[in-house]
Amino acid sequence: MSKTILIGSPNSGKSLLFNRLTGLNQKVANFPGITVNINAGKSLAHPSNEFLDFPGAYSLQTISGEEKVAVDAFYTALNDPETSTVVCVVDVTRLEKGLIFALQVINACAEHKKPLIIAANMVDVLEQHSMNMDIVKLEKALGVPVIAVSAKSGSGLEQLQDRAINHQQLPSAYSSDIIASDESLIHRQAQQLATDFGPKGDLLINAQTKLDEFFLHSWFGGLSFLVIMYLLFQSIFTWAAPVMDGVEGTLQLMAEFILPLLPAGVVSDFTADALFGGIGAFLVFVPQIFVLTLVVGMLEDSGYLARAAVICHKPLRLFGLTGKSFIPMLSSVACAIPGIYAARTVDSPRKRWLTYLAIPLMPCSARLPVYSLLIAAFIPATNMFGGLIGWQGLAMFGIYVFGIVCGLLVTALVSKTNKHMQSDLPFVLEMPPYRLPSWRPLLRNAWSRSKHFVTKAGKVIFLVTVVIWLLGYFPNQGADLGASWLGVMGQWIEPAFAPFGLDWKYGVAILTSFLAREVFVGTLGTLFGIEGGEENIISLAEHIQNSGLPVGAGFALLVFFSIALQCVSTLAVLRKETGSWRLPTQLFVSYSILAYAAAWLTFVIVQAVAG
Amino acid sequence: MTLWDLKQGTSATVQSFVSSLESSYRTRLSELGFHPGESISCVLSPSLGAPKLYRVNNSVYSLDDSVASLIEVGTQVSTQVGTGK
Repeated sequence: MSKTILIGSPNSGKSLLFNRLTGLNQKVANFPGITVNINAGKSLAHPSNEFLDFPGAYSLQTISGEEKVAVDAFYTALNDPETSTVVCVVDVTRLEKGLIFALQVINACAEHKKPLIIAANMVDVLEQHSMNMDIVKLEKALGVPVIAVSAKSGSGLEQLQDRAINHQQLPSAYSSDIIASDESLIHRQAQQLATDFGPKGDLLINAQTKLDEFFLHSWFGGLSFLVIMYLLFQSIFTWAAPVMDGVEGTLQLMAEFILPLLPAGVVSDFTADALFGGIGAFLVFVPQIFVLTLVVGMLEDSGYLARAAVICHKPLRLFGLTGKSFIPMLSSVACAIPGIYAARTVDSPRKRWLTYLAIPLMPCSARLPVYSLLIAAFIPATNMFGGLIGWQGLAMFGIYVFGIVCGLLVTALVSKTNKHMQSDLPFVLEMPPYRLPSWRPLLRNAWSRSKHFVTKAGKVIFLVTVVIWLLGYFPNQGADLGASWLGVMGQWIEPAFAPFGLDWKYGVAILTSFLAREVFVGTLGTLFGIEGGEENIISLAEHIQNSGLPVGAGFALLVFFSIALQCVSTLAVLRKETGSWRLPTQLFVSYSILAYAAAWLTFVIVQAVAG
Repeated sequence: MTLWDLKQGTSATVQSFVSSLESSYRTRLSELGFHPGESISCVLSPSLGAPKLYRVNNSVYSLDDSVASLIEVGTQVSTQVGTGK
């Protein structure tokens, strides 16, 4: 199989191009440095050819460990006899910067005898603003094919795919100076090429500056940041609510239809308690994960996230972090795993290490089912202004803020007391242009994230649910949950959770949730299902309300779940990224102890206030 | 004066880097366009010490004081871009 390398400056649109060329669904964002692994996919037009998407690089001369990994991999790929072509993606709206890198790539390809094509991306933006550039003359000047493409609209992609398998001509070195340094020739050459053949005028940059003047304004910028973040969390409730109701209603209808058809006894009880009670309770929350991923994706795609990083830089610096930590932290709101990978874009090793400490405390979507359940059980569903403001949304906002504040306090404390990796890199962040989000990749990404959530977490939940159901149902066929095997085991662990007002059922649910947080909902659904018998299929929130759980215990649970690191995958990925089990072990132990102590304190305070 | 001292709506030419700036970072700043002889304009300077936005050719970068104060620039001149607040 022949291979085509896709390479280019950060945020040149490579990943979207890769998705278009291969039909794969790699994460795309309008933020510099989002590709952190080398992705491979077969060409849609020519399946015998494979595209490799390399991380964006400003230069073939590296200054950080991650860049070195990417550039070394590029050189290894250049030496691979299977590599047939290199495609260097250049953003035509910022031509000079792309050309500085492209000229280096031309030289590298000439040296390694590999054919090269330049993909002049984002020509749709030029067309929108009635601007143009001279592709033909640029091609002639560079001595390599330059193909005008738009990864967004799809124009020029067919030509690019055909050239990728047919182009054989080797490039000649354009510049003798491979390294762009202070007085480098390559820099002046790129500048000259951009001036001669690039789009003329300041229209794009002026439009960007106008928006920046608002979004980064000392007061409006901060205010709009808070409003956008608040709407993000409110949307999780208001947009997802009708779909959640739909899923719940469908599950109830299915239960009403299927259960009477089954013979009374073990099979019927298992279907009602474990399948509809346990797994069904978890499925209800999938629409929220979809909405959350979609909204975070919209913000990334629009270019706003880079502005949010600038707004957050000064405040985050107080806590030992940098504005660049904001992106991994916000990604962690969807899931800690992409958050940990995104932390590679934090170029300072110390700041990246501190970001790792904060990530497990970010309110990830696995916590969402637990939060939603407890909020639905304890907070009234009163809405105002057509659903724009609601108590439940406010409570969700509050618990999210709590997690974030905890993360910041931890990094502040550690950064003040620990001098680990003290040397630092300064803050330089490129501002990507503002763009209207591309809906198709966003929807596809949200869909695949939800599907991944159901299939990955679903397997664990199914296994745990079956085990919990078997232990809770026997030996007395569900007649008395307290006297079941699980009930007996539960009595042993009850003292550990009694200090914050929880009985053994919640204790068992918490223990099982150390595999993955959302297992809590499935376990609790199964346990209440067995206890409730088959007379009623009611929502889990109602079961919790009916169980008489003290309000303090509800808040204690919220606090416990905000802090505890109950995710095996997060620990495994942290181990992979840091190269040892040291940090994951330290975080697991310290966050477990902190979660327990904070939950107990919350219970005591809330119960005292509630009287 | 340094790049950090540049007022919003003005531009200046980069003269040199402060000697304490690491050589690898000096190279990176040069590649991004912040190299001696290049004209840089400050397009946005928010208050409260937040990072400022600088335009180099057709790209805009955000730099905080820890790096902008290490780039020495010549006399500032008024520009058209980004004069409103």
